[in-house]
Amino acid sequence: MIKENIEAKLGQGIGFERIRRITGYLVGTMDKWNDAKRAEERDRVKHGMTSNA
Amino acid sequence: MIQSIIKRDGRVVLYEQSKIAKAILRSMEAAREGDASDAARVANDVQTTIEDKCRNSVPQIEEIQDAVENQLMNHGFNESAKQYILYRANRTRARESNTRLMKTIDEITKVDAESSDMKRDNANIDGNTAMGSMLQIGSAGARSYNEVYLLRPEHARAYREGDIHIHDFDFYSLTTTCTQIDIEKLFHNGFSTGHGYVREPQGIQSYAALGAIALQANQNDQHGGQSIPNFDYGMAEGVKKTFHKTYCQKLAEAVEDYLDEDDKYEAVVALIEATERETGERAQLKASEKFEKAIAAQLTEEYKIPAENVVHLVKRARTRAEQRTDREAFQAMEGFVHNLNTMHSRAGAQTPFSSINYGTDASPEGRMVIKNILLALDAGLGHGETCIFPIHIFKVKEGVNYNEGDPNYDLFKLSCKVSAKRLFPNYVFLDSPFNLQYYVPGRPETEVATMGCRTRVMANVYDPDQQIAYSRGNLSFTSINLPRLALESGQDEKLFCEKLDGMLELVAQQLLDRFEIQAQKHVYNYPFLMGQGIWLDSEKLGPYDEVRDVLRHGTLSIGFIGLAETLNVLYGHHHGESQDMQHKGLEIVTRMREFCDQKSQECKMNFTLLATPAEGLAGRFLRMDQKRYGKIEGVNDREYYTNSFHIPVWYNISIYDKIRLEAPYHALCNAGHISYVELDGDTTKNVEAFEAVVRWMHDAHIGYGSINHPVDRDPICGYVGVIGDVCPRCGRREGEIIPQEKISDLKKLYPEMPAFQGIE
Repeated sequence: MIKENIEAKLGQGIGFERIRRITGYLVGTMDKWNDAKRAEERDRVKHGMTSNA
Repeated sequence: MIQSIIKRDGRVVLYEQSKIAKAILRSMEAAREGDASDAARVANDVQTTIEDKCRNSVPQIEEIQDAVENQLMNHGFNESAKQYILYRANRTRARESNTRLMKTIDEITKVDAESSDMKRDNANIDGNTAMGSMLQIGSAGARSYNEVYLLRPEHARAYREGDIHIHDFDFYSLTTTCTQIDIEKLFHNGFSTGHGYVREPQGIQSYAALGAIALQANQNDQHGGQSIPNFDYGMAEGVKKTFHKTYCQKLAEAVEDYLDEDDKYEAVVALIEATERETGERAQLKASEKFEKAIAAQLTEEYKIPAENVVHLVKRARTRAEQRTDREAFQAMEGFVHNLNTMHSRAGAQTPFSSINYGTDASPEGRMVIKNILLALDAGLGHGETCIFPIHIFKVKEGVNYNEGDPNYDLFKLSCKVSAKRLFPNYVFLDSPFNLQYYVPGRPETEVATMGCRTRVMANVYDPDQQIAYSRGNLSFTSINLPRLALESGQDEKLFCEKLDGMLELVAQQLLDRFEIQAQKHVYNYPFLMGQGIWLDSEKLGPYDEVRDVLRHGTLSIGFIGLAETLNVLYGHHHGESQDMQHKGLEIVTRMREFCDQKSQECKMNFTLLATPAEGLAGRFLRMDQKRYGKIEGVNDREYYTNSFHIPVWYNISIYDKIRLEAPYHALCNAGHISYVELDGDTTKNVEAFEAVVRWMHDAHIGYGSINHPVDRDPICGYVGVIGDVCPRCGRREGEIIPQEKISDLKKLYPEMPAFQGIE
């Protein structure tokens, strides 16, 4: 009965995990990053494959 | 007549003139002027002034100290007065530091990590747990003590005010940073962890288990990253032993099956050993025709197995042994990765900060290790989660794994496929000239390997015969706030260079001071690192010997952050924007490298230049500079300074150009460097593009690089890949519920879906 209840709400309040490289290593979820690094991650732009030089 | 004085905390104590004279004499000694009778004369005059001033009241300690300063100057002891002022300031700082320490501990104790940036300073420590908090409290106490008691005042000021950053400052008096652990040497004859003796391992499973234990044990002796430079070469020994054991078993089983008898195991092992002695070859993964023929002939003779059957029998035993060894190797690698993501070290608050380097061992055993560690990384943890540790580093080398036809080319391709999914491995490029210069074929210790965020150790001015990666590491490092120097120089390039030279000299002195503390430790202070011979030449020392001389194999590194912002201050542009700025950037970094080289020769110590990994520092320097200079556009108007020599993360630039512009700095930053680029989209669907970027890095002479791409995971349905707002597998948004029917359908489609327990 309890199990069914849990399954009935599977996913409630559960977010996605987002793994990113911090300097040379990975950090499991970004919750534990400090404020400066969170900001740096937010600002990162994707780099295109073609040269603009 | 003064009878008593009032101390700072309000207590009234007896007045003693001798105490004043003693303090004055101490300042005179520091200033190298005056003597005891001068001190007594000054103390007398201090007393007279105070008596005049406080006829009807009890004097305060601060009043007496002011009088001492004045009287020292009146008597012409200006240098002593300066020393006295410095001494007073230090005491004041010590008192303030105690108050600050208590406030810090208060924050660690009461505030949740989510609302305390300080508690998230190191992303690997969970500041909400008991052991995490204990570590942070200990660290705060050590910092406080080190600043007041161990640093010279000028170093303390530079550190406190943000001119420099002394990394791992809490460990200042305790240990060194990191080491490349040569596991081949360690496993030979077994080792002791300090809690028990471990015999030489006898198969790949125990090799892998002990590999993890070695990283964990050494992590308790050092504060930085622990690394294995020769993971493939080291583990290959374990594969060799497992294959031999399995080959004996499988051949015995085949003989037993053929004869329909039991108990032939020992006889067959004896026969294999005899054949090995006769042929001078071992039963190993690489089949030898000579050995196989000899074994077949022996079996025919001993058990009367006809020649036409025995060939098949031997071949099948070999195939089965190969398959079994391969499976065991995979399980061993899987166990290794699981261990390193779960076992705790450093007061139980963090997993070891571990790295493994591999890719160049082209023996069949080494290849089996490389393949299976990559497959284990690809598989992820129990629910398919991406492993955070160890950091995997694939060593790229022409003639070994870079080009089609190279023996490990297939493994290089596999590494790209895995890294496109899991972000690891990173790549170290042995063909880049500054790495190639050390490379000697057949001597893996000459292959550059990395540890921690990016640390690299190769050159050795202390012992030029041992320019190797193994058994060495960084001793300590301190970084310079480059943008600050530029801000202090206006736009005056010459002034900037002068200030930079001064700062380099200050940091070098501080590193030498720290070395002096480290050098006075004994082997027994590092029971694993030195006691078990992990560190180069430490096996030549006894337990009570000083580690001074062997530590000289390590590096003292000067780091920097914010080259881009520095160029912006000095010239208005950064090195991503113009070729001129690239020249200017290279000039600045070359200046720092030349200083390090010169200092190395001067002291016969390995001073090296580090492209600082600026995890916590990026914000620290910036906040201090905002406070000091206000917000300046393009310099400190964001929340962080740019890492070392990187092109700013927010600047639009192609992958090719970013690599091309950053590569020359790799050659200069010999203490370690890394470049990464950000790829868009799901790279697992475009491994060719991923590989192309790795090849650009190789050809541009990058030293160490990696490719970033989003790796997201939905813990509910287990999907790993890019997740925008909606999970592509189960269709839910963050926090949403998946209906029961949908789960059942998904489980049919994806049997590997995690069994969700409801509580995570």
